[in-house]
Amino acid sequence: MRTTTAPPSAGHRPPSPEPRPLRPDPARRRVAARERFAAGAFMTPAVLLVGVVLLAPFATTVYRSFFDDHRHSGFAGLHNYQLFLTDDALLRSVENTLLWVVGTVALPFALGMLIACLTDATRWSRFARLCVIIPYALSGAAVAVVWNFVLSTDGALNQLLSAVGLESLSTSWLLDWPGNTLVIICVNAWQATGVAVILILVGLQGIPPETLEAASLDGAGPWQRFRHVVLPQLRPVSIIVIGMSLANGLKSFDLLWVLTRGGPGRATETLAVSMYQETFLLQRPGAGSAIAVVLTVIVLGASWLYLRRQFDEKGA
Amino acid sequence: MTMHFGRVLRNTVLILLSLLWAVPSWLLLVNAFVPAKEYTGTPHWLPGSFGLFDNFSQAWNEADLGPAMGNSLLYAVVGSLVAVLIATGAAFAVVIMPVRRRVLWFWLIYSGTLLPLQVFLRPLFLSYARFDLYDTQIGMFLVYATISIPFAFFLMRNYATTVPREVVEAARMDGASWWRMFWQIHVPLSKSAMVAAFSFQFVAIWNDLLFGITFSTSDNIRPAIAALSELQGSYSAVGPPVVLAGALLVSLPTLVLFFSAQRFFVNNLKLTR
Repeated sequence: MRTTTAPPSAGHRPPSPEPRPLRPDPARRRVAARERFAAGAFMTPAVLLVGVVLLAPFATTVYRSFFDDHRHSGFAGLHNYQLFLTDDALLRSVENTLLWVVGTVALPFALGMLIACLTDATRWSRFARLCVIIPYALSGAAVAVVWNFVLSTDGALNQLLSAVGLESLSTSWLLDWPGNTLVIICVNAWQATGVAVILILVGLQGIPPETLEAASLDGAGPWQRFRHVVLPQLRPVSIIVIGMSLANGLKSFDLLWVLTRGGPGRATETLAVSMYQETFLLQRPGAGSAIAVVLTVIVLGASWLYLRRQFDEKGA
Repeated sequence: MTMHFGRVLRNTVLILLSLLWAVPSWLLLVNAFVPAKEYTGTPHWLPGSFGLFDNFSQAWNEADLGPAMGNSLLYAVVGSLVAVLIATGAAFAVVIMPVRRRVLWFWLIYSGTLLPLQVFLRPLFLSYARFDLYDTQIGMFLVYATISIPFAFFLMRNYATTVPREVVEAARMDGASWWRMFWQIHVPLSKSAMVAAFSFQFVAIWNDLLFGITFSTSDNIRPAIAALSELQGSYSAVGPPVVLAGALLVSLPTLVLFFSAQRFFVNNLKLTR
């Protein structure tokens, strides 16, 4: 689980504790230089590690995406990016990624909202909440193991269906496109809804009860109260929940890899899996790099959804 | 009358949803207990005889889950510990010390957590092969510690902005060095935030699969999730109960941590809003 949440804009602290003297004398300047040197020493490990281990490889990947995958790799311009329009496996992967985008925006948010609102005040809500939150504490790989057990042809779901006489509905859940992708998106929602519930509950507790009482006194029914009082107040939380589950869904690799390896064939791959497939299994690093770059653009776009809010707030 | 109907509807929806969420977890638990030899090819719905520990030990030996969990523990503990210390130092510098271009430094370090892991893979893989870091514990530690720094830095930076400036200024007046201020004032003040950042990164490292399968192959190097992924690959050979027991075993540390530190997680999600 990797939760990325919005950074408050970094630039609005008072610039420097010491007021700058009108004519800096050398002694003072030496002190200032030493201070900066000390600050540098505290930052160096983080900057160096992130720069060398993360940002430099990122730059290399962007660069590599403009070179082809022949034996003597040469400059190929946008050729690797054109694969998104011509390569069947990649086209399927893009389709799947779009389905994932829709599914990860809609499902965890809608289910999280439903569960959070329903369990906000009922007696045995703690149990219901626990059920939803447990999967969030599991790794994507463990979730895949559990659902493989449920979804495989002789798995629990088909067994249940035939036990209640709905044998005609039982099918190979992970075999045919687009059903398999939709099923996996639901599995992802099974895991991702927990954190949405937690966040929305926190948001619900922040709503002053007086506003709800006032709305009731004005004759608003439960639905109207939800629609016109609760939902607007949950707007900031909603943006975080949607942005977070979108970014996490797009980056999700382990669930798909352990559940289907992107298969059958390459039918359930999303871009996150296609990159690994192309780079390491099919030995097409140029194509893989281009996929990684496109994935980065989409993830940054999704993150921008909720990063932006912070800047609006601070008026930057 | 309508009130009554509303309550019934609400409870029905709630029961259905809870079941939908509970049943897969329940099946995991029940079938991990079924002795592998008694498993007849159809899932069990009710607990029967007790074979959990046999399944555990089979998973432990079959997929070498034991050494893999040791590796994961090492990477997750040392990696996030080092990452949190480095991140706390950087946050201290960016927020409290007089630094120019704070925004630049902030984004330089923070950007690492916004990028998908896939963009780092191949260049890192090639450098690892070249510098003999591929399939080594130090290589795994390096990549895990580094990937944990940006988000830990983000949490620690948010926390550092809440530390009252007077504390720092008083210490400055007394002529304390930055080094002493960091260790004797800032770190003790930030302890709870550091524990929270540590648990977050512990879970993130423990649950990683992508780096595990890319940068390691041998049994005594690779992390537990990579071993579980391989165990799932031999699903029909070892039988579902063993695989499920393996998944349960690998999930135990994060489950325990999550529920013992639930308040930490929730508070932190609040903190980062």
